[in-house]
Amino acid sequence: MTLEQLMFYGLGAVGIGSGLLVVTRRNPVMSALSLVLNFFCLAGLYLTLNAQFIAVIQIIVYAGAIMVLFLFVIMLLNLRDERALSDRLSARKIIGAGLAFGLLLQVLYILMSAADGFPQKDEALAVSTGTVEVIGVQLFTTFLFPFEITSLLLTAAIVGAVLLAKKKLD
Amino acid sequence: MVESVLQNLTYFVPETALVVTFCAVLLADVIFKGRPRIPWTIGLLGLIVAGVTAFQQTGLNRPVFDLMIVVDPFAVFFKVIVAATAILIYLMSLWSDEVKASARRMGEYAALLVSATLGMFLMAGATNLLMIVLALELTGLSSYVLSGYTKEASDSSEASLKYILFGAVSTGIMLYGISLLYGLTGATDLIGIRLALEGQAMTHTPMLLISSIMILAGFGYKISAVPFHFWTPDVYEGAPITVTAFLSVASKAAGFALMIRFLVSTATPSLGVDVMAVVQTFEWPKLIAIMSVLTMTLGNIVAIWQNNLKRLLAYSSIAHAGTMLMAVTVFSQNGVAAVLIYFVVYLFMNLGAFYLVMLVAGATGSEDIDSYKGLGHRAPLVGVSLVIFLISLTGLPPTAGFIGKLYVFSALLDAQWIWLAIVGALNSVISLYYYVRVIRNMYLRDPDSAPAPVVLTGAQTVLLMVFLVPTLVLGVYFAPLVDWAHASVALFGIR
Amino acid sequence: MDLLEPIIKIAVVLGALLTASAIVVLFDRKFSAYIQNRYGPNRVGPGGWMQSIADVVKLVMKEDIVPKAANRFVHDLAPMISITVALTTFAVIPFGDTIPLFGKEYNLIIADVNVGILYILAMTGMGVYGLTLAGWSSNNKYSLFGGLRSSAQLISYELSMGLSLIGVIMIAGTLQIDDIVRSQTGYWFGWIPQWNVISQPIGFITFFVASFAETNRLPFDLPEAEPELVGGYHTEYSGMKFGLFFLSEYANMIVSSALITALFLGGWHLPFAETWGLDPLVLALLKIGAFMFKMFIIISFYVVIRWTLPRFRYDQLMNLGWKVMLPVSIANVLATGVVMLWLTR
Repeated sequence: MTLEQLMFYGLGAVGIGSGLLVVTRRNPVMSALSLVLNFFCLAGLYLTLNAQFIAVIQIIVYAGAIMVLFLFVIMLLNLRDERALSDRLSARKIIGAGLAFGLLLQVLYILMSAADGFPQKDEALAVSTGTVEVIGVQLFTTFLFPFEITSLLLTAAIVGAVLLAKKKLD
Repeated sequence: MVESVLQNLTYFVPETALVVTFCAVLLADVIFKGRPRIPWTIGLLGLIVAGVTAFQQTGLNRPVFDLMIVVDPFAVFFKVIVAATAILIYLMSLWSDEVKASARRMGEYAALLVSATLGMFLMAGATNLLMIVLALELTGLSSYVLSGYTKEASDSSEASLKYILFGAVSTGIMLYGISLLYGLTGATDLIGIRLALEGQAMTHTPMLLISSIMILAGFGYKISAVPFHFWTPDVYEGAPITVTAFLSVASKAAGFALMIRFLVSTATPSLGVDVMAVVQTFEWPKLIAIMSVLTMTLGNIVAIWQNNLKRLLAYSSIAHAGTMLMAVTVFSQNGVAAVLIYFVVYLFMNLGAFYLVMLVAGATGSEDIDSYKGLGHRAPLVGVSLVIFLISLTGLPPTAGFIGKLYVFSALLDAQWIWLAIVGALNSVISLYYYVRVIRNMYLRDPDSAPAPVVLTGAQTVLLMVFLVPTLVLGVYFAPLVDWAHASVALFGIR
Repeated sequence: MDLLEPIIKIAVVLGALLTASAIVVLFDRKFSAYIQNRYGPNRVGPGGWMQSIADVVKLVMKEDIVPKAANRFVHDLAPMISITVALTTFAVIPFGDTIPLFGKEYNLIIADVNVGILYILAMTGMGVYGLTLAGWSSNNKYSLFGGLRSSAQLISYELSMGLSLIGVIMIAGTLQIDDIVRSQTGYWFGWIPQWNVISQPIGFITFFVASFAETNRLPFDLPEAEPELVGGYHTEYSGMKFGLFFLSEYANMIVSSALITALFLGGWHLPFAETWGLDPLVLALLKIGAFMFKMFIIISFYVVIRWTLPRFRYDQLMNLGWKVMLPVSIANVLATGVVMLWLTR
């Protein structure tokens, strides 16, 4: 068991565990913290794939900005604990969870049966494409247009957020 | 690098106009704080410029920005539809009570309509998975906020919240499907995907199936197909009526454009490749046929029970989406052209119906069907116009709606989808019931209490004519529209 | 796997940092005292210089009081997050040039990651959690206000902090902090060291101000202001958990000074030291000394400014962060880009 495999299994297990915690905790702040842990595990998994930039950006953007806003809202709204998980379950939710589980089984079956069809990890290629320089070059040449459109998207989002949140001043 | 960007920009003029308009509207809103008309006027001018320049792009057929988007007759058609819708909605907003009540936010309303239009322009031309996602998000974000525009009313905030939640989940599922598709094919542009799929001898068919269904879920949400339609009635009811009208026409048009382009580019074979080898791996037509049947039937049957005319029109728009999906099922030139024809027709009759509902709601304060009692005698012009729009929505001659349905059914019958055509015809009969209910209320019932008069000003009547005249004229003289639709679809090369 | 070298480095740095935090606490108190024309702690040890040890012993032996309705797990977690984030940021800061020991050259940086600056931004982003969770978990209105205000302040100034670093990255052309420090070791016109404080003055000022806000130091210390919020987010903390918060604030201060030194003041660069013809080991030690001296200057600035400027009001703080610092940082990026293009024309 190489260090890499150990890291993968460890991070994967913690990631899945924290994901389960997110949906089963009654206290919303605990759910949010479990989600932060999940994001850290994802960042670690990205690091095992030699994607350093994505890993750090995951922490900066997701765990460092988006989840802070989540926590902000939870604390401002002073959300109380939910009722226990067993109280919240209804027949509809159980059927929904069952369907999602069925989908998961199907996807797993497909992935297992096609396991030999996936390409092997090209170490040299992975190391050379995960760096910031390569991503930067691609972002500003091949993907310049989606980059600019994303800026428009963010502007529209800000305008929308201000519209929804601004209070009357008179 | 810079030269190629500048050269690409010459084919990007309509969208550039919209971007400039968006920024100008925002700046004008800040500079001219107390006068909401100025940002509105700037927005209107920008949309007209965008529409005209988009129309001038007919005849071009080239990829722009490294195959990110493409400018071809198909995209131009939908861009013109979206631009026309946006301009008409702008004009409608002048007389909308809900919009006027929040006149301070008019600048943001105008700006968001422009950004939604821009998103739809991009959706019409997107040929790269990345651009598809971005365009969907841009349109979606603007729509979420627009539907919550009258945020003081609780059902508007509820509509916005439901829209956001549903849109976020659907986009998430679609992104998952897209990532699986990228993993399968290694390409993000649609042509590359098709080439990769053809070359791979279909070894990963189950994976392709799952990713395709997930992507279809994303498209289905945008066009309100069953079973992804749950957001539509609540959002259409809660949003201000101008926004509802905009969403029901433009958003659906852009969604259909995207879906058709995606399906045709990835799922139909290039010339020279055996058709059956590709199509058999994934039975797109059957799946879409089932979706269309469910959509039409659910839309029509639930509409029967509605008492709120806005909600009824929402369900009827679901049914119309189902009818158009029937035409998409037929993967032929006739089928896709029928969708295009139907959209033009649908634009005028749907917008016209919403416009009248808005005016009547403004005068009487209610959108219930019961409040339409006796309207035909009180306001003859409104009554007659509404009758024409409702008959057109049903699909009866001599209105334009009949022409739309005619082309859809003829495409179905040409391709031997007899059972689907029969189901479609039955659904038209069902829809007749709830449309005629409104007509019956207008002419054959007396009003309950003292009714409010509905008087149209001159300008309002002119706008009504803009909707009414094409609905009538296109019912008899539709050759140019058919030619234009066929010309827009010819580039796909599907027989 | 050669783990011994990083472990020794970590042990040395951790020990030095924690000791330095204690010393800086004392330095803060003594220096503030002299500024305010009083003596400061002068009972414990000669001239009061063992006060920190007495404080640590006291805090360790104090009872750990947790409010009954507080969320115990998060209450314990918050100071841990604070101190961890403060200390791990130092992992990518080079505190000296290569040092020749036992025949080999050792890099004086724990982890020379190739996304060093991004790592720092990520860790400062994580620092918000310590304060926010502390404020929320105490089940106390004042703590909650302090926590929320502090996180709002921190995320507002995080933006200008990151943007002001972009100018530095543009000039150095790399995200690795060691390379950024090395890029400052040249000279303009033969005698002006190429420190980024000279080539990026606006970036330096914005980063300096932003780091005040990030470390919750006056004039940005509204989250813990006593007259306003009792104790802000650390009202309900006692004993060593309070000690950890206290320590983490000063550790943050030290790390910020180290960052400013490394990114803007040339790091361990001692101008013209290569021309003095010294033994390499002595030179390396001198460079570490230069780094520590520059850090010391910045820390003194922190203390002096604390007792010079009055506290910002919350709306003034937000105003400054969003309406002044952010546009200035963006303008700085633009100006740097324009000047760089013009110079390489």
